[in-house]
Formats: sequence, C-alpha cells, structure tokens
Amino acid sequence: MPEVKVAHLSKRFGDNAVLRDISFTIADGEFFTLLGPSGCGKSTTLACIAGLEQPTSGSIAVGAATFVDAGTFVPPEGRNLGMVFQSYALWPHMTVAQNLAMPLKIRKVDRREQDTLITEALGKVGLAELRDRYPHQLSGGQQQRVALARALVYSPGVLLLDEPLSNLDAKLRDQARAWLKRLQTELGITTVYVTHDQEEALALSDRIAVMSKGDMVQIGAPEEIYERPATAEVAAFVGRCNFLTGTATGPREVRLDCTGQAVAVPGTAVTAGTRVTVAIRPERLEILPPGRTAPADVNVLTAQVLTSSYVGARHEYDLRLGDHVSEAETSRPGLAGEVTLVAEPAAFLLYPTTDALPQDVEALITIAQ
Amino acid sequence: MTTLSPPRRGSAPAHPPPRYRRPLGLTRESWLQYGVLLLLAVLVLAPVVPTLYQSFLDRPLYEAGGVLGAGNYVRLFTEAGFGRVVLNTALFAGLTTVLSLLIAVPMAVIVVRTKLPGGRVFAAAMQWPFFISSLILGFGWITMYGPAGFVSVEVRRVLGFLPWDLYTIPGMALTEAVALAPIVYTFCANALRQSDASLEAAAQVCGAGPLRVLRSVILPLLRPPVVYSSILVISMSVETLSVPLLFGQPVGIDVFSTFLYRNGLQSINPDYGVLGAASAIILVVTITLVALQAKLLKNAQRFVSVRGKATRPRPLDLGWLKWISAAAIAFYVVMGALIPIGGLVFRSFTQVFTPLQSPFKSLTGDNYERIFTYPVYVQSIVNSLLVAAIGAVLVSVLSLAAVMVARRSSFRFGRAVEYLALAPQAMPGIIVGIGLFWALAFAPFGLGSLLQGTLWVLIIGFGLRALPSGFGSISPSIMQIGRELDNAARVSGADWVRTFTRILAALLRPAFAGALILTFVTLLKEYSPAVFLASADTNIIGTTMLELWVQGNTGSVAALASLQIAITATFVGLAGLLLKGRHQKADDNA
Ligand SMILES: Nc1ncnc2c1ncn2[C@@H]1O[C@H](COP(=O)(O)OP(=O)(O)OP(=O)(O)O)[C@@H](O)[C@H]1O
Ligand SMILES: [Mg+2]
Repeated sequence: MPEVKVAHLSKRFGDNAVLRDISFTIADGEFFTLLGPSGCGKSTTLACIAGLEQPTSGSIAVGAATFVDAGTFVPPEGRNLGMVFQSYALWPHMTVAQNLAMPLKIRKVDRREQDTLITEALGKVGLAELRDRYPHQLSGGQQQRVALARALVYSPGVLLLDEPLSNLDAKLRDQARAWLKRLQTELGITTVYVTHDQEEALALSDRIAVMSKGDMVQIGAPEEIYERPATAEVAAFVGRCNFLTGTATGPREVRLDCTGQAVAVPGTAVTAGTRVTVAIRPERLEILPPGRTAPADVNVLTAQVLTSSYVGARHEYDLRLGDHVSEAETSRPGLAGEVTLVAEPAAFLLYPTTDALPQDVEALITIAQ
Repeated sequence: MTTLSPPRRGSAPAHPPPRYRRPLGLTRESWLQYGVLLLLAVLVLAPVVPTLYQSFLDRPLYEAGGVLGAGNYVRLFTEAGFGRVVLNTALFAGLTTVLSLLIAVPMAVIVVRTKLPGGRVFAAAMQWPFFISSLILGFGWITMYGPAGFVSVEVRRVLGFLPWDLYTIPGMALTEAVALAPIVYTFCANALRQSDASLEAAAQVCGAGPLRVLRSVILPLLRPPVVYSSILVISMSVETLSVPLLFGQPVGIDVFSTFLYRNGLQSINPDYGVLGAASAIILVVTITLVALQAKLLKNAQRFVSVRGKATRPRPLDLGWLKWISAAAIAFYVVMGALIPIGGLVFRSFTQVFTPLQSPFKSLTGDNYERIFTYPVYVQSIVNSLLVAAIGAVLVSVLSLAAVMVARRSSFRFGRAVEYLALAPQAMPGIIVGIGLFWALAFAPFGLGSLLQGTLWVLIIGFGLRALPSGFGSISPSIMQIGRELDNAARVSGADWVRTFTRILAALLRPAFAGALILTFVTLLKEYSPAVFLASADTNIIGTTMLELWVQGNTGSVAALASLQIAITATFVGLAGLLLKGRHQKADDNA
C-alpha cells in the first residue's frame, strides 16, 4: 500500500482561501488524522485527495501515481481510493449487497468473484446477514459499517474517512472507534481520517495533523501534539488548557499578570521583558493535600475554589487565581476555600503572547475585582 | 469480522478502476456537457438572432442586398403607431396586475391563515389554470359575459342595459387577472405557510384582535411574494396573446402580441422590418422583467432561509366575517372559472345558446360530429397529441440533462446552461413563432425546407417555451438528493455519465415523471408560436379553434375546447393513478 504525498496544496473558492500551502506525507499503512475546528478545511483537503475538488495549486501523489500536479488532474474515478462520507452516502435504492456490488460491477469483476468479495467485506464489518436489507432498514451504526465495507470491497489503495463516527450516539461512537482502529491495524491500509473530535483523533491516530483556518499548524504523534503543542491554538484545541499571561523576567522565570507571582518555567529563548502566554493542562495543576509541604523545586500557587463538578472518574475544580479562573483536575472530592496548587516547571508551556483565546472566552475566565 | 484477507502490499491494485474512453482527448462527460450547451444555445438563439437582425434590415431578411439601419424603428413609432400599442400594453398589464393582486392576496391570507369553511376545497380549486388554457378561458368568458353572452343577455333583459363591456382594456384585464390570480395566490400562500407563526401568537398574546394581527403582522410578511408575483404577472400579461386577440382585436385595441399578430399574419403585405423592430423592443421589455424576477427570487430565497424552521400556524378566527370571505372566494371560483368553462362545455352540446330559449331544447351532438367528420379537425387533435407527447419526452430529457449539467457537474459553463434553459421565459410565444419562421429561412443544409411545415417546427417552438417549466420542475428534486451520493459513486470508480445512469437516474425517476406530466399539459395548451408556424397540415387544436372562431363557428370551438379539457383531465388522472401505483409497489418492495 502506497504512501500519500501532498505538497503545497492550496484551494480557494473565489477569493476565499480555504487551504493555504499545505504539505504532508503519510507513510504506508499509517492512520493519519486531520484535526481542526469546524470550517478549517479538513473536508476540503480530503476532497482534494479524493479528486472531488480540484486544488488551486499544489500536488498530490499516491505511491507512484501523480494525481494532481501542474497540468495533471486525475478524476476521482481514476484514483482507486475508498471513501466513507459523513452521511454514509449509501445509495438508497439499492440493497446492502447491491451497494457493495456497484464498484465491482464498474470494475467488471466477474460475478462469482463479486459474490466472494462482497461476502468477505461484509464479514469484515460483521454484517454478513444483512446483505439484502435496504439502507433505510439499518441502524446508524450498521449504515456506517456498510459504508466502510463498500469503501473496502475493491481493496482500494488508500482509505479516506470524513467524520464517519459523528452521526453515532456517544456510546456507539466509543465502540465503533475501537473497532475501526482494530480493523485498520489488521488490514494495514493507509488511512486518512477527518475529525473535529480531539479525543477521537488522539485515540485512533498514528499521527495527527492539526489544521486551523486553512493552515497546517502541527503534525505529530498524538503524545507530541498533546504534550508539546506547537502553538497556543493547538494547546487550546487539543485537550483543555489554562492560559495565563505574564512577562518574562529571566530565561526561566515568568511573572504572572493574575497574581503578580513569579513562576519557574522550562528554559526558553525569550528575553526578559517580553510578554508571554503560559499554558498548563488542568491535570498538571496538582492540588496539594492539607498538611503536606510542596517539594522545593516546584511552583506553588494559592487559589480559591469557586465551583467543583463531579464528572465520574474525577473531580474538576474551577479556581480563582488572582483575577483569573483556572481549572484543575484531581481525584480528590470536596475541596473548598483556599487551596495550594503545585506545578512542575516542565508542566508549563510557553508561547509568545498572541490572541490565543477569543475575546469572549477571555472575558469568561477573567474575574472582575 | 474475523476472516481477514491478508493485506495486499505491493504495487498493482487488485481491482483497478476502469479506463474510460476519451474520444478526441475529451472525456464522455465533456462531450455531453458541451453538447447540451450547444444544443441549448442553438435553440434559444435560433428565434432571437434573426429577429434582431431583421429589426435593423431594410427588407425581408431572405431577400438579397439588404442594408442595415434604424429605419424600422423610426417607422414603427411613426407610421405603424406603436406608441399607442405600448400605452395599451402598459395599461393592460398594470390593470391586470392590480386586479390579480386584489383577488389573490386577500384570498391567500384567508385560506392559509384563518379558519375558513371549505378552505381545503378552495386551495385545491386554485389549481384550475393548470387544466385550462387562457385561450379556452377567453372563449368561455365571451360565451357567458361577452356582448351576446348567455349571462349578458339575461342581465340586459332584467336591467334593460349591460353594466359591463368585456371588449375594453378593463374587461381584458379582468379576464386575464382571473386567469393569473392563482399564480399570485400560490406565491403568497407559500410565504404565509413558511412564515413564523410565533410572531402572530406574540401579537395575539399582546391583545391584538384578528384584524389587527392581519394588518400589522401578516401583511408585511407578504411584501416579498407580492413584489415577485407582480413582476411575474406583468411579464405574463405583456406577452399574452389569447385574451387580447379575442377581446381586443374585434374593437381595434392592440397590445404587443396582437400588434405582431395583425402585422405579421393579417396584413396582405407584411412589413418585416417593422415586425422585427417591434419584436426586438418587446424582447427587451420581457427580458428585463424576467431578469428582475430572477434577482428578486434570489433575494427572497435568502430571506426565507434566514428564518429557519416554521411552526404550525394557528388559524385566526374571523367570526361572522368568515362566511363573507368564503362567499367572496366562491364567487371568484364560480364566476371566474366554473361558469365560463361549464358554459363552454354546455355550449358544445347545444345548437343555439341563449337564455331566450331553453338550451335544453336544442341539445345536439352536431358540434362534435362536425369535428369528427372533417379530417382536418381530427388531424389537428392528433397533431396536438403528437406535439404534446413527443415534445414532453424531448423537453423532459433536455431539461434533465440541463439540470444535471447546471447543478451537478463541475462544467465550466454550467451557469450558462442554466440561463439558457430558463431564457425562453422571456420569449413571448408569438415571437418564438416569428423568430423560428425567419430562422428556417436562414437554416443551413436545407434544414429550413426540411422542417418547414412539419410538426417538428411546432415541437421545437412549443418545446422551447416549455423548457423553463421542465427545468424548474426537475431542479428542486435534484437539489434534494445529497451530493455525497454522487461523490460516493465517483470515488467508487464511476465517471460522471455512469454516476448518472447507475445512481441518479433511478433516484430522479419520480421527478422525471412529474416533468413529463407537466410539460405534456403545458404543450397541449400551447398554441401561440403555431399561429406563425403551423401550415394547413399541421394545425393544432388551438389554431383550429381560432380559425373556427373567426368563421363564427362557436359551437365547434366549444366542442374542441371541451375535448382539450377532457384530454388534459384524463391524462393527468391516469398519470396520477399510474404514479401512485408505482409508489405503492416501491413501498412494498422496500
Ligand atoms: N463549494 C464551496 N464554495 C465556497 N466555500 C466553500 C465551499 N466548500 C467549502 N467552503 C468553505 O471552505 C471552508 C472549509 O470547509 P471544509 O468543509 O473543508 O471545513 P471542515 O474543516 O471540513 O469543517 P467541518 O468540521 O464543519 O466539516 C469553510 O469555510 C467553507 O465555508
Ligand atoms: Mg467537513
């Protein structure tokens, strides 16, 4: 199975630039996810790979075949890819078996082999007994699996999935996710997966590409994306994050605006006096049990508990940190009043100050004094 | 999910996608798409270009040595008296619009938004113009309300005088307004159904009475549909031929269409230059109106989509007023359509039709017998059916192709295809007739003499006029089919053509059947291009009726009209049954 190479891909609709100079390479057999907020251009990227949209510029190649380049455009029917759409796009006037037979008929596969391939593909997705049903007689989860079987039945080179799980309810989605991952690993098919659900992306992918407003912001393994987000925006989008502004006072120290306190941060190249944004994940803000003293080399912050919410496995606390609201996550119930927070310097992520958060969110997390 | 074939690593795909042939380096879809574009361009431009050319030419365009100039336009307004015609047309169109709004807007509000006894029946009754052409309506009105009409004679006998005169601009406008009111009604009723009933509920909670709710909440909602349908009515009354021909011609009131009719057909030595110039001016007017319509409709759609989901409106209770409203609407339906059409049908079974002598005394089948004994009359019925049947198939196929290209392809000129398919809206039937007549004189490869005087010319002319309805009836259905269904087929290996044949064709079957029915009925009612194009052998029901009318043979006109209505009703009834049966079968399968 081939690798997918996308280079300098741009797409504009009229004068609206939807994709701006996007490049990435997907390795053979890799599960690659395009992640980003709604409208950032994920589906457009996928459609360009599938041939359903013609890029304004750039090149796309799969294996040895060039699909798009200056003067070349292979139409979708010539690309031999498999695709699952958000709405599943099962043809409503055909049974499950007929849906799967269509791509094979087009390929002039002989009847007997068609039958074996259909049985095999339906077996893979565990729906062999439903072959004579019409799409409207299937549940959402079954439709999604039929769509996948239809995309796999002709052994395509690459599998493209556009938010295939977003129409399922929460529980089914979790199951389908695990099942999809297993299937993909077993088949070893190169897969491009589009989602705006960061949890889904983290759980499924070998690598994730985070997109924002038509730009590719970061490409990396899930841990890398989560632990070392390239920008404040990625940090904000993937997982939850507290953002605090401050001024660098030394190479490893930042004075926070909210409390006026100086905190130790990992070493960076910022010069003293620059404005920075410090980000920290809620689960890295530890709440010190009473009567324990903090280790010497960690930051200690004092905060007041505003609200607490119990979300099953853990407790989430909204804390007032100076004039700022921050979140912390812990397994300890029933905290109230003043608490002590500890955070390792390595837990802080440092970004040049930009408008990392939209104004309205900023307003929500600021407390009037 | 246990039996997994080993992943196929390596180079060649196990089942490679098919290779599609590319004649002359172009894909099949390109051939088809350019073909549709070209065909539409030829069809639409065929009547227009010769007309424009003729309008600047100092002699008939088939004569050699013509010189271009604006002389025709000068003569049009000096010698030919076109100024008067413009004025008449403006008066007629304006009055028609006002009257049809007066009839239809209150009716829409009352039927949709109030508790009306028999509301459903009235809503259904507004469909009547679908079955009855305006030519037949005109015959019916004259039969009942004309100077010697059945009702008129009776009224004159009772009152000693006749308080109305049909053969005036207001008389023409009233008849035309009765025929066009259902269009205004449809637009207003749809807008009212879609609009948010919570506004009204809010007003009612604030203590506003029903009339106040009507005035301050409902009427402002109606502005967009009223503006849009006014433009539509204006453009339709500007181009209509039937009523002006039947009512205005005998007393010398000329409007656009009858001016062309008189100068082109009735004069012994027609002045083609003046005819061309008049046609060109009329085309400019109708094109402007249609362009305006398109723009307004676009804005109106934007307006609707912003509003979002509608709640079920709670009908207002008008109290005793509702009985008066019901009576008023019944008056429109009965006096406007039922009595004239019923009278015409009755007329077809009588010898003499006057209140002075009981028509039951002279009941006869003679009128029908005359039609069925003369082969020319039978031929005209057969011709009408042939034109409608062949035309319906061709127009529906072309509409489907045009919709596919305009709405479901990445064809560079998709927009142009849509505009071309809708352009005939702006082409009055009589100008299509004149234009094609001239185009035949021009056509290459001896095509002109081949087509001249055949039914094919009529099919082309009528089909052109019906194309916008065909396009308009298929286009919404295609928009309802999710684009991902096409995309899934494309990715699976089907090219554009095969995506259509394998997927969309099956899904569009009901829409196509609908277009067939609609265009068949439209074509059966059409006649205006034929007044220039039909030969003695290719008369259709409409032209034959006109001929018989001029001869004073009103009984036979009534018989032909009744036959046409009967054919339409039978066809629509049968088609409806057939479609219903199919639906049921499909449901059983599913
Ligand atoms: N045919 C089109 N014409 C104009 N603009 C378009 C078209 N298709 C998409 N866009 C714009 O391109 C941008 C990216 O669209 P795209 O569908 O790729 O977003 P997405 O990341 O898939 O979002 P979502 O998560 O909501 O599906 C959007 O702003 C959209 O408005
Ligand atoms: Mg999308």
